[in-house]
Amino acid sequence: MHEVSIVNDLMEIIQQNVVSHSLKKVTKVTLKIGTMTSVEEHALRFAFEVVSKDTEVEGAELKIETVEATALCPQCEKTFNITFLNKICPICNAYSNNIVTGYELLIDEMEGE
Amino acid sequence: MKQIDVKKNILQTNDILAKENKELLDSKGIFTVNLLGSPGAGKTSILEQLIKSMKDNVKLAVIEGDLYTTKDAERIESQGVEVIQVNTGGACHLDALMIKEALNNLELDDMKFLVIENVGNLVCPASYDLSEDIKITVLSITEGNDKPLKYPSMFQKSEVVIVNKMDLMEFTNFSMDEFYRDIKSLRNDIIVFEVSSRTGEGFQQLRDYLLNKIKEKGGVTNA
Ligand SMILES: Nc1nc2c(ncn2[C@@H]2O[C@H](COP(=O)(O)OP(=O)(O)O)[C@@H](O)[C@H]2O)c(=O)[nH]1
Ligand SMILES: [Mg+2]
Ligand SMILES: [Zn+2]
Repeated sequence: MHEVSIVNDLMEIIQQNVVSHSLKKVTKVTLKIGTMTSVEEHALRFAFEVVSKDTEVEGAELKIETVEATALCPQCEKTFNITFLNKICPICNAYSNNIVTGYELLIDEMEGE
Repeated sequence: MKQIDVKKNILQTNDILAKENKELLDSKGIFTVNLLGSPGAGKTSILEQLIKSMKDNVKLAVIEGDLYTTKDAERIESQGVEVIQVNTGGACHLDALMIKEALNNLELDDMKFLVIENVGNLVCPASYDLSEDIKITVLSITEGNDKPLKYPSMFQKSEVVIVNKMDLMEFTNFSMDEFYRDIKSLRNDIIVFEVSSRTGEGFQQLRDYLLNKIKEKGGVTNA
């Protein structure tokens, strides 16, 4: 449900760039979204379509890159891939709550003319 | 064609405001809780219990988030505690701007403890920091022990989980073993309190935990 408010904030950042780069049209927007954000891609795409309608952004390709979740091992100090239910370092079996990536909600780049 | 390297956090506006709120609350030494959970889990009932036993020792205030109504705020106000009602007008979560405005309307001097009751929702509020020191998620026995796995982000981001409605345990098939197994894999340093707002069971421990946190943050209490 909050996909709509996320897209509203996203559109604000896009609009600022439309103005500062004097774009007539935005053709592509690339996002980076962590696997632990619980953002639903389908809902996000739908909200993007609705909110961008009748703006310079209408019809732009929305590219979503997934950022894997990782944590920092307290023992060997290496980062390793985690899931919600598995945060055990594969090398030394230590548990880590020190989440490094996975919560990203970023706009990476955009294209336009 | 122009390619623009934007590289920005989409929720940066919220995060910046949350940081400003936090700096203000830190400067006043106010321990702040973001209280989360499904509608009906017992957030307001827990607050009522806590207020009863804490208001004589600690100056506290409540920000009540609600979609449209003022019901919860009235319940808190009737206990003689300062409360600010924030109606989100249908939005599924509170954000840092709403809290900033609420803080403008609160008497912050001498205040030591602030509880923000978020909108009943286990998904959306997880992405929006408000200014809190900790997130506390309330899970009631009647919701079932599979909730943490269904809403993992929220539970993983919570320092504390309150398992409420323990008085109803015998009428449900809630498995404490499965609950602890799941919650500890999501976050192994999570702190759990088992309470009943109906009978008052478990509130002594919860209250002691909070009083200790309030003290750590710089608040002097007479407890
Ligand atoms: N049996 C029982 N009922 C409870 C308990 N805590 C809350 N309730 C009831 O659950 C309902 C929802 O409580 P409320 O505090 O409004 O939930 P909120 O939506 O999370 O704020 C109310 O009818 C409460 O009386 C409890 O510990 N045991
Ligand atoms: Mg309530
Ligand atoms: Zn390791």
